[in-house]
Amino acid sequence: MFKINLKIALRNLWKNKTYTAINIGGLALGLTAFILLLLFINNEKSYDTWDPQLKQVYQIRERHDFFTPDNKPRWQHITDSRIGNLLKEKIPQFSAVTKIDNGWGNSYSIKIENKEPILVSDIKNADSMFFKVFPYEFLYGDEKTALSKPFTVVVKQSFAKKLFGTDQVLGKQISVLAWRGDEAKPMTITGVVKDTETPETVAFNAMTHTGRREVDPDRPQSTNYCQVYALATQKLDTTNLNKTLLSTYITFKKANFAKREIKFEDFYKNGYNPGLKAVPMTEVHINPTVNSTWLEKIKPLIAISLFLLLISIINFVNLSTAQSVQRAKEVGVKKVLGVYKQQLVRQFLNEAAIQSFVATLIAVVLVEILLPSFNRQFDINLSFWYNNHLGTLLLQLFGLFLLITLLAGFYPAWIISGFNPVKVLKGNYETSFKGIALRNALVILQFVIAVTFIIGIGVIHLQNEYIAHKDLGFDRSKLINIATNYEDNFVERIKHIPGVQYVGTTTQVMGNSFNVPHEIKYNNQEYNLNTVTVSMETLPALGVEVVKGRIFGSQYKQDTVNTAVLNEAAAKLLGNDVVGKFYKSGKDEFQNTFQIVGVIKDYNNESFDKAVLPTVYKVTELGGTSSTNNLLVKFNTSQNKAVIQAIEKEWSKLYPNFPMQYTSLEAAFKKELQSGERIMQIMLLFSVISVALSLLGLFALSAFMAQRRTKEIAIRKILGASDLQLINMLNRSFLILVITANVISWPVAYILTRQWLTGFAYRIDMPIWPFVIATVSSVLVAILTTSMQARKAAVNNPVNALKYE
Amino acid sequence: MIKLENIEKYYANKGVKNYVLRHVTTQINKGEFVSIMGPSGAGKSTLLNIMGMLEEPTYGSYFFNEEDVTHLGERKKIELYRNHIGFVFQAYHLIDEMTVYENIEAPLLYKNVSSGERKSRIADLLDRFNIVAKKDLFPNQLSGGQQQLVGIARALAAQPAIILADEPTGNLQSVQAEEIMELFKKLNREDGITIVQVTHSEKNAGYGNRIITIEDGVIKEDLKIG
Repeated sequence: MFKINLKIALRNLWKNKTYTAINIGGLALGLTAFILLLLFINNEKSYDTWDPQLKQVYQIRERHDFFTPDNKPRWQHITDSRIGNLLKEKIPQFSAVTKIDNGWGNSYSIKIENKEPILVSDIKNADSMFFKVFPYEFLYGDEKTALSKPFTVVVKQSFAKKLFGTDQVLGKQISVLAWRGDEAKPMTITGVVKDTETPETVAFNAMTHTGRREVDPDRPQSTNYCQVYALATQKLDTTNLNKTLLSTYITFKKANFAKREIKFEDFYKNGYNPGLKAVPMTEVHINPTVNSTWLEKIKPLIAISLFLLLISIINFVNLSTAQSVQRAKEVGVKKVLGVYKQQLVRQFLNEAAIQSFVATLIAVVLVEILLPSFNRQFDINLSFWYNNHLGTLLLQLFGLFLLITLLAGFYPAWIISGFNPVKVLKGNYETSFKGIALRNALVILQFVIAVTFIIGIGVIHLQNEYIAHKDLGFDRSKLINIATNYEDNFVERIKHIPGVQYVGTTTQVMGNSFNVPHEIKYNNQEYNLNTVTVSMETLPALGVEVVKGRIFGSQYKQDTVNTAVLNEAAAKLLGNDVVGKFYKSGKDEFQNTFQIVGVIKDYNNESFDKAVLPTVYKVTELGGTSSTNNLLVKFNTSQNKAVIQAIEKEWSKLYPNFPMQYTSLEAAFKKELQSGERIMQIMLLFSVISVALSLLGLFALSAFMAQRRTKEIAIRKILGASDLQLINMLNRSFLILVITANVISWPVAYILTRQWLTGFAYRIDMPIWPFVIATVSSVLVAILTTSMQARKAAVNNPVNALKYE
Repeated sequence: MIKLENIEKYYANKGVKNYVLRHVTTQINKGEFVSIMGPSGAGKSTLLNIMGMLEEPTYGSYFFNEEDVTHLGERKKIELYRNHIGFVFQAYHLIDEMTVYENIEAPLLYKNVSSGERKSRIADLLDRFNIVAKKDLFPNQLSGGQQQLVGIARALAAQPAIILADEPTGNLQSVQAEEIMELFKKLNREDGITIVQVTHSEKNAGYGNRIITIEDGVIKEDLKIG
């Protein structure tokens, strides 16, 4: 019986090739998007699961306000380096604790003997305990002693092969330079570890041990931040553990404050509480400290791909039920031959299964084809066939296949198998044509989704355009940013290169911002400002607009001592008329007085979801910092290449062991726009697919409706209706559906896009055009689609239709 | 075999009852070949449908093999279809996606007849109806008469006790119609299969041994012939 049903199914599918193709193709597209998403989620969830021992490893987080994007205290995974020793001494549950340098820059120069230096990423520096906490598998070398001596390094197998072409590199020497001025001191490779199967939070190509990480700063008031991980003797109850950690931390802080003569109560006030906690390694990736979680980030994507899948399922349901008329006779006959309803349901479910199976196969092929560009888009490395958890993945796919089959197949199967044989065999399909209301509802739903997508694209596009052309408050053209600190020797050299107009440094520039909180006293009132340390030529290099007063200049001697420039946001906060006034900052013997000499227009140095902070600009290092790693060079010529080559030449004279790195501000700006454009591209792709699918569904549905009304059309024609009148008649019902869908999607799209827009500090007002365009185009395309079918039915010779009976 | 007692059938439409059948009481015995005749709209097909349990009467009782089947559950009904009743339709109603062979095989599949038994039965039927050469063709590749032959072969495949035929020759030319009628007669005489057919044609009715005439839902005449 199964064989014969399979045969019937295949013959039927072949007979209705077009609809079968639409059904399977639609499902395949929906599934493809979903599988990609599945791969992504699987990958994110597999972080730090490469060894069972990781269940006993904890990341330590401290609550503080150093290096947070808004200068407010937050839970952070960079902690006071003293925490490491504290845990070792006070928490017996931890058998090993390791400290790892937080990599501030992300490029390191590696030099092997006399070869040219190369830039690589993910070089980390740890204390000697690293491999006691993280259970990496050593291929060569001894894990117990690998990092016990200073200037040793353990490399990953893949990295060893990249550097040397072999993994037998034990005892070889490499020099690792984190900064261009570092001395090229050789390190000995003491171990080669196997690459892990799943991604790691503490990812590294090489783990160095300079010995620097073993010591804490001497002065109680200075703090060195690093990452701390601890291995517990067994899996711990984090609630209890965190209570112990917090009390230990408070005791530690009190002791530290006592040395610095600060009162605990003075420090922790206004909602700033002390905090120290442990997060299990397996949960670290899901709960990042500063960024939003990956789940948060891909929420819109999840929604979009779910909608796409939904649309393709709706298509399937609609087409199958509409087509069921053709199967009515088969069902009627089978019923009088003695077949149970369940058997029929099973038969039609099997047919749906065949189609969704083929769709799944096509989707897998599409996924394979799309993965490379998907990986490039999202900067990750996913694979399907080479997935480490292919078994799980296939199981998930099978589950998905079952779900789709049931969702798409059950309703049509139920409808078809419910046909009344007497009516069907009499040739009376009209009354057996069930489920019109439901199908109409589904068409409306499809179009709601499609129209919402179109509106979404429109709004996103307008917002992206707005940002791309927004006045940033600074001139990003002919401006490059070299990753280095301001060093007089180098600056003097490149200033003499023709074409170089200004050279300056800043702690804050688009692409590399470093917010430093700054408390000031102005008019006996305290304000929290952001402080940026610049050099003389920085503001002119950026081309900022002066609103009041002046910016720094070498002709003013006191500019290097105690003058400050505010941005408009800060000036507004202090009460506008500030030029010439004084403010104080710092405490006791460190207190300084600054004179405000000018106000500049706000300029953006972070992405557009953040507003420009009220900021004070200073040339002096008093109360600021000089480690910037930004060196801005402004050209007064468009011959960029030649100038940059000249700069690189100077660079290699001074720093032969470290290649020069730079970005143009234009590129930095483009990078800020990237995330918005990514969403836009994906939205565009998905909405084109969803609109196409919806239209295909409508097309097929209208074909069946026209077919169903063949007789009615013929009779009307004999009575004298014109073709146009008939087309109008047939279109009307679909037009109502599409217009209803539009009416529903307007508020939906409005709410969704408004919410998306509120994520931007700088945004457009809600535009009306996307709404109008979406409605007009959806109605037009729908009319065009259904008219094609209606016309075919209308111009038919009525005799053909009436002869049939 | 079939006993109908006081069968009534009406459709209520806006409070008005439209009677299709009124006070129909009759009995059909095993081995009879009954023709139901009457003008269009008299209720012939409805009567046949009630006999085939495709429709339920509004009032009255229906006994099939001494068993009250007036209100029968879906499963029981299907059991009867599988084992006792064969249908033949005016429009043949073969399944278009199945070959001749597969069409005849279908009822046997539902009956869970073993594959060897199926093969021999179908071979026998194909042989008897002289359509062996056509067994791999699809219905639309056959003439109307051939299609009806397949339809009858299918009805016979499950070896039913009774065949219900709704104008089996209505769509056929007279030569083909005669063939079909001869076949029915033969099945009735030689195999003892009870046959009930609805027909317009006096000539076709003449092949049977009893004619029931219906007018306006009422049995006007019940005539034994031959």
